[in-house]
Formats: sequence, structure tokens, C-alpha cells
Amino acid sequence: MMEKTLTQLLITVLLFFGALFALQQVNWVSLFKVQQITDKTEEKLGDLLWETFKASETENTNPILVKSIDSIVSKISEANDFDKEFFKVHLLNSDEVNAFALPNGHLVIYTGLISDAEHQDELVGVIGHEMAHIQMQHVMKKLVKEIGFSVLISITTGSAGGEIVKQAAKTLSSSAFDRSLEKEADIKAVDYLTNANVNPAPFADFLYRLSLADSQLPSIVSWISTHPDSKERAEYILEYSKDKSTDFKSILSEKTWESMKEKLTF
Amino acid sequence: MIHIKQFSYEPGDHESEKASNSYLMSLIAIIAGLPFPIINLLATLIFYVGNRKSTYFVRWHCTQALVSQVSMLFINSVAFWWTIGIIFGDETLTNNYFGYMITAFIFNFTEFIATIYTAIKARKGIHVEWWLYGPLTNLICKPR
Repeated sequence: MMEKTLTQLLITVLLFFGALFALQQVNWVSLFKVQQITDKTEEKLGDLLWETFKASETENTNPILVKSIDSIVSKISEANDFDKEFFKVHLLNSDEVNAFALPNGHLVIYTGLISDAEHQDELVGVIGHEMAHIQMQHVMKKLVKEIGFSVLISITTGSAGGEIVKQAAKTLSSSAFDRSLEKEADIKAVDYLTNANVNPAPFADFLYRLSLADSQLPSIVSWISTHPDSKERAEYILEYSKDKSTDFKSILSEKTWESMKEKLTF
Repeated sequence: MIHIKQFSYEPGDHESEKASNSYLMSLIAIIAGLPFPIINLLATLIFYVGNRKSTYFVRWHCTQALVSQVSMLFINSVAFWWTIGIIFGDETLTNNYFGYMITAFIFNFTEFIATIYTAIKARKGIHVEWWLYGPLTNLICKPR
């Protein structure tokens, strides 16, 4: 009797794992169009959230500023084989030192960040960091975690109220990702920068400098106050970029960088 | 998969009803506690404990209903927590997830059909032994 039970148990277990293995070979994700549905949700969310920022703040459309930032994004995209059309860069007038990523490749930069950067590579570093959040799918992960999947769906179908959309916008613009996700984005940013022959050291300097400024100017330095442990981050960025190539070259000419600074409005 | 066998004695009507109820218990629990697999097991366990001192036929079928629920608990707990991980955590929808859910569905569905079938048969006093759970129950449940 015992032997019969064991044989049947073995057959059942084998049957279970056999069925599991066979069924896992089927490409259900494409069969159920999971990717298309996810992409559509992300697309709608990104557009909706960007509309929220656009409605409440002033977009800066100065061609020198917009084109210069576009060339930074293009250069990083080219050097790292990204589809540069996916990134939709927006510049907003504000004295806040902030930049953040929205779903579907929207990347928002405040003029305050450009003004505060002492070297263009500092700005490139922050842009690289935000591009990493986009590339690594951190944005949707964070929204799902903090807002919840069902609420996100209700936003895209239009059944959620305006308050929820504002809350989602606030979550992305003024709160940090998990520490592990921030570190991943920092490390990826160093890779992106070095692939584009941009020196990552100024990015670390920027973090270090703002970590000092943070205590004095908490109200306007949003990017740093939402990204904790800036000093520690500056250190591991330097440590990680130590062995990288030294043949660095800035993306923009000094002249373009200067004129960018001159054209800034808040 | 399912065998109708001769039980050691002819069960009375009262026994048949109780034995049949042990399966119905797990069916009702499926509806009541669908998202929480543990509820199924608890319902069958409570019924099992309640009928410990009952006749052999009733005890035998309560035991078969219980042991079948234990294995489903493992399968369904993984399905439950994997789904929770997708909704609230970092997990994403993958082919592995869909493959697992479909396998779990097939096993649950088979068990569901077997449960209904056995409940009907047991009500008529017919003794039904399931694949694996039948011999297992014979090892656990002995006549007094």
C-alpha cells in the first residue's frame, strides 16, 4: 500500500512539474498582449501626468535651451544604443533645483537645475541618472508600489479624480525612489556617461556640493532633498568611475553652455 | 484517476450524508474563501475534527477530502502570493507566471470535478477512491 502511494505521489509530482514546464514554454505574455496593454497604460499615464505639470507651470521653449538639452539626450542615447525618440524632454521655468522622470519617457528638467550646475557635465550626470530611471523601468515600478496598480488603471480610464492624478505627479516629482533603485540609476548613469565620453566626476561633485547646500537651502533644492545620502552617493559614483576611461570630452561647446546660462528664466 | 470500490461494509443513509458533506464543505469554502487558499483547508479540517469519532465510512471520506486540500493549499498559496507580488510588489507578468497559473487551474479544476462527483456518489453510499489520495487515506484512516 505504501509503495503504491509513493508511486502515485511521484507520478503526480512529475505530472505537475511536467505540465508546469510545458506551459511555461508558451509565450503567454505576447499571446495575452500584456506588453501592448502595459505600454498603452504607461503612454496614457505619461501624457496625463505631463499635462498636469504643463498646466500648472510654465514651459520654457527657448530654442537654445531646448536644442542644447536635446543634444545631450541624443548623445547619451546614441552612445548607449537607446531609441532617442522615446525620450521626451521638457524644460520648466522654476528656481527649484530639480529634474524627474515620468512614465513613457517624459523627462522634466527645471531651469533651476541648469542654473545651479557649475559645469555642464553636472547637468549631463543628472540627465543620465533620470534616463537610467526611465531605461530601467523604475518609474512605473514606483507608481505601482506607491499608488497601486488598480488606481493607475483607473487614472488611465478616466475614472479617477484629479486629486489622484496630482498625487501621482507629486510622487514622481518630489519623492525619491528606493535606495537600491537610486543606486542602480547612479551606476547606470556613470556607464551612460563614460560610454558617451563624458566625465562622471562632476556628477559626483554636484551631489556632494548640493548635500552641503541642502541644509542651508532646503526649500529650493528639491532634487537633492528627495535623493537621500548624497554624500555617500557621490563617494560610490567616484569609486565606480575610478577605472573608467580618462579621455573625456563635454557634449556641448563652452560657448553653448554659456549662452544656455544666459537664456535661463525662472 | 477515480475508482469506485467496495467498502468494507454497506454505509447507512446517515453516514452517506455526512461523508458527502465533507466534500461539499470544501466546495462551499472555495466560494467563500477563494482568494485565501488556507480557508479551504481550515473548513475541511474543522469538519474532519468534528467527525473524528464518527463511523469508518464518514471518517474515511473526511480524511480523503482533507488530504486533497493539503496539497492544493501548497499549489494555491504559491499562486496567491505570486499574484499579490504582481499587484503590490515588484513582480511582473511573465510566461512563468501564466504557465503556473494555468497548471494550478488545471489541478484545481480536476479536483473540483472529482469533489462534486465524489460528493454525489458518497451521498448514495458508493465508495470512491481517488488517485493518490485514496491509497494515502487508506494508510491514515483505519477501521476501529
